[in-house]
Formats: sequence, structure tokens, C-alpha cells
Amino acid sequence: MHHKVLFMNVEKNSPSAVLSLDKITKSYGPIQALKGVSFEVPEGSVFGILGPNGSGKTTLLSIILDVLKANKGNFLWFGHPGSKEQRKKIGSLLETPNFYHYLSAINNLKITQSISGRGTIGDIDEVLKKVRLYERRNSRFSSFSLGMKQRLAIAAALLGDPKVLVFDEPTNGLDPVGIAEIRQLIIELRNSGHTIIMASHLLDEVEKVCTHAAILQTGILLTTGAVEEILTDDDAVELSASNLAALGDLLKQLSQHVTINNELNTVQITLPKGTARLDEINEFCFKNGIILNHLTLKKKRLEARFFELTNN
Amino acid sequence: MTPIVKTEWLKIKNYPAFWWVFGITALTYPGINYMFLYVYYDVIHQKSTASKVVTALMGNPFSLPEGWRTMAFFSSFFIYIPAIVVIMLITNEYTYRTNRQNIIDGWSRKNFMTAKMTDVLLLSIIVTILFAVVALIIGLSNTNINAPGKWNLSYYIGLFFLQTFCQLSIAFAVGMLLRKAFIALAVFSFYSLIVEEIAVNFLKYKYKNEIGRFFPIEISDRLLIRPAFISKFDEQAYQQALNAVKYHVVYSICLLILTWLFCFWLNNRRDL
Repeated sequence: MHHKVLFMNVEKNSPSAVLSLDKITKSYGPIQALKGVSFEVPEGSVFGILGPNGSGKTTLLSIILDVLKANKGNFLWFGHPGSKEQRKKIGSLLETPNFYHYLSAINNLKITQSISGRGTIGDIDEVLKKVRLYERRNSRFSSFSLGMKQRLAIAAALLGDPKVLVFDEPTNGLDPVGIAEIRQLIIELRNSGHTIIMASHLLDEVEKVCTHAAILQTGILLTTGAVEEILTDDDAVELSASNLAALGDLLKQLSQHVTINNELNTVQITLPKGTARLDEINEFCFKNGIILNHLTLKKKRLEARFFELTNN
Repeated sequence: MTPIVKTEWLKIKNYPAFWWVFGITALTYPGINYMFLYVYYDVIHQKSTASKVVTALMGNPFSLPEGWRTMAFFSSFFIYIPAIVVIMLITNEYTYRTNRQNIIDGWSRKNFMTAKMTDVLLLSIIVTILFAVVALIIGLSNTNINAPGKWNLSYYIGLFFLQTFCQLSIAFAVGMLLRKAFIALAVFSFYSLIVEEIAVNFLKYKYKNEIGRFFPIEISDRLLIRPAFISKFDEQAYQQALNAVKYHVVYSICLLILTWLFCFWLNNRRDL
């Protein structure tokens, strides 16, 4: 791992935190799914929990929604331990849409309304319209496509307009139009002051809709913070000289990340965002006896940053 | 209607499979009793000597008050039909993963189990009402209008309820443990119809050991003893069975409490 791993110390119960996690640990037998994960979700944020498959995203959401019990650690919703009264105020979609297969969309949402107390029977029509399922409101859940099931789950989460929403892979199973609609919906919710906690393995999804993110890998929190701080591109500088090996050795004094590409006859170095000064690099090389024949600043792709973080 | 009962009603009221099995349940209780009633009529209306002996021996087991005991005993054969409903209601929650959704939406685990216990309790009450109505109709139609003590054995309604609630609770626990409807139903039926029957009788007749009366189904089976005419074959044994009923009321209540404590504990302990 060539990027530093950040283990965040949670300041417990900070006033603006909707959710605080403190050293959450969970094991399935010998497999440790979460290893002391701590972070905070600020109010009004769209908080992405990002990580590859098996990184512990769903386990983490399951714990904060009380369907799994953590082995160690605790979490606070609005500064208080999780309870059923708090869950009633949170619209949630966890893993797969879970509904009674023999019931229609509208009858399933009546159960959601009855348990959570969120919204009214009249609101059910509104949320079904919002996710474009109103025409199929009387069809059985078992007759729905995967995308429709997902949209019904989102409708259930939106019922009663809860101020906090938890979405686990909300665009799973949706077609491109559906994905765009849900992302737009999340942005609208964010703009109207909702706090959204969203697990995703899709980088561009997190980049497009999230304000904050936490990156998980094999149960370890790699980093967390505002998206522009943790996922924006580093400065990548591409250089070339007649002696690539000597150039590479010299550049190790400037950057920990030096890549020599013999095919392209270039050396690439990575520097923290906004710190690359080409004139200074040129001068540094010249003073050390290397004359550059190529020097350019490149933006690093988001995926590369993610792969760097997750060491893939 | 409390929110929990209302929510359970929303789950059930548009569930076709539930109403099919419920309909079958509603037919089996009058069905079994009328079947035995007509067998009895058929026997007593024959003109053979054997028929006269049987009539003298049996009296009319369907007349009140004896009819309460007779029909409670026959009705208890069909516990497997409402057991299907109970097993369906819990295993569906696991199949559709709605047990976890109910929690996510704002129920506590205790709320979920309370809802399920309410289902089993209400089903036991409905089945008991069904039995009581059938027993009353058949009983009154077989009893002289001026006969005294028609209600003397009506406490068998209570015993029938206790047995039904007890055995349906065990079916529920099996469903909860195994989570799959067909497997749970097969295990419940196989155990209660075959395994326990063989074990109880094997212990009783081979080893003269009565420990079998503490087996889960047998504990409440002994609440509803055989019709009184059976006493003619072994009066002492019949009297012993009658005397044991009050103890089995206590054992059944204890088993009922233990069963639900186990279910609540298991639900609380499990990841969903």
C-alpha cells in the first residue's frame, strides 16, 4: 500500500453528525468483515460508502439498521444509540428489495406505512408516481422486473419524505435511463436538505452524487472525508530524457510514485493535487545534470486513484 | 386494532394461499366430526346383534355433554392443517426476507415476534371457535332438548384451545428453526405423526415407562382424552388418563411458555 491509510478518530456525537460510527467490528466465523470502522456522516451530506465487492459495505449498513449485530464498537444516530423509533424516521433500501411477493406494489407500501408510520395512505400514490410505478400499482411484486423491484424499494424508502435515507447500491438492476433518474432524484434530495448514506461500488456514481465518502477495503476503512479531498485527481507529471533510468532515480527525490515506461520512453511521477510546478521540476533536473526533452502535466484518472487506495 | 395486528392483517388479507388453506381448515373440522357421526349412525341403524352391542356399549358419544369431549378428540386429529398456515406465515418472512425489512422499517425484534405470536394465538382462537360451533350444532342435534348438564363438559373448549395453541406454537418454532416451509412441515408432521407416536408407545408397552407423556406433542395430546366409551375396555386406565388432565394443563402451559421464550430468544440472537 503506497498511500497512507487513514484511521479516523471519531469525535463522538459532534453536533452536526447524523451518524457516528465508533470502531465497528463484525466477524462471520473466522472471516472479519469489518475491522474497527469509525467515521461520521455530516448532516445534509450525500455520504458514499465506496468499496469493491466484499469490502463490508452492506454489512456496515446492516449494522446501522439493526439487522446485524456488531461484535464490537457502537454507532449513534443523532447522538443516540440506534432504536426502532429512529429507524422509523429513516428511509432504507438494504441489499435487495424485500417485499411480499403475493402482494401488489400498493399493498406492500401499506405495510411499510403501517410499520414505520411514515407518510399516509395518500402519500403512497405520490411515491409510486415519483419512481414511475403508479401504472403498475396493483400488480403483484412477483410480476415485477428487477428494475421495478428496485424502484419499489426506493419508493418505500421515500414514503413520508424522511430526512435521512440509506441506500445500498440504489441503481442496481436499473437501465441507463433508470440510473440517470435515480441519480437525479438523489441530487434533488440532497438539494432539499436530506442526508443520504449510500453504498456503492461504482466510482462515477459516488463522484456524480456524493459530497462525502468513506472507502472500505476488506473491512478496513482506508479513508474518509469530502469527495473532492479524497477522490479528486492527483497531479501526474510526465517527463522524458535520454537516460530514463537516471531520470527515474533522480525523480525519486521528488515523489514516492515514480513509474518508468520504457515503451513510451517516459517517466511518470505523482504529486499531491496542485503541488506540481513544472518550472521547478525542470530546474531541479537541469541542476542535477539531466536535460529534459519532454515535460507535461497530466490529470490522473479517478479510477487510478481508487485502485491506488485499494491497492488493486 | 393495534398497529401490530393491523400490519399482520395487511400481510394476510390479500394472500390467496392463506385463504385456501384456511378454507380447507374450516372444512376439516365439521368434516371429521360429521364423518364419525355418520359412521356412528350407520352402525346403530344396522339390525345385527353386533350393532346392538356396540350401541349399548357406546351410548351416543355425540350427545351433550359427552359430545364436547368426543368432538374435541376427533377435531384434534387435524392440527396439521392449521399448522400449514402457521408454518407458511413464518417461513414466508424468511423466504422473502421481509423479517429483516420489518425491522429496517421500524419494528423491534420483539415487535416482530409479538406479531407472529399474535398470529398463532388468533389462529388458535379461530380454530377453537370453529370446533365449538361444530360441537354445539352436532351436540344439540343429538341431545334431548330437556337433557340436564349439557354444558358440564364445555370446559373441553378451553382444553381444545390450549392443545391447539401449544401444538401450533411447536409448529411455529419448527418453522422458525428450519426457515423453509416444506422442510418444516415435513419435519413437524414426520415427528408428531410417526417419531413421537412410535417412541411414546414403544416406551410405554416395551419398557412400561411413561416418560413419553412429557414429549412435546404428547404433553398436550393428553389434554383431550379419548371418548368415554373407550373406558369400557379398561376403566382404570381411562380414569388415570382423566385424572392426569389437570397435570397436563400445567405441563402444557409450561411448554407453551418455554416454546415462546425459545422463539423470542432465537429471534433476538440471530442475524437477520
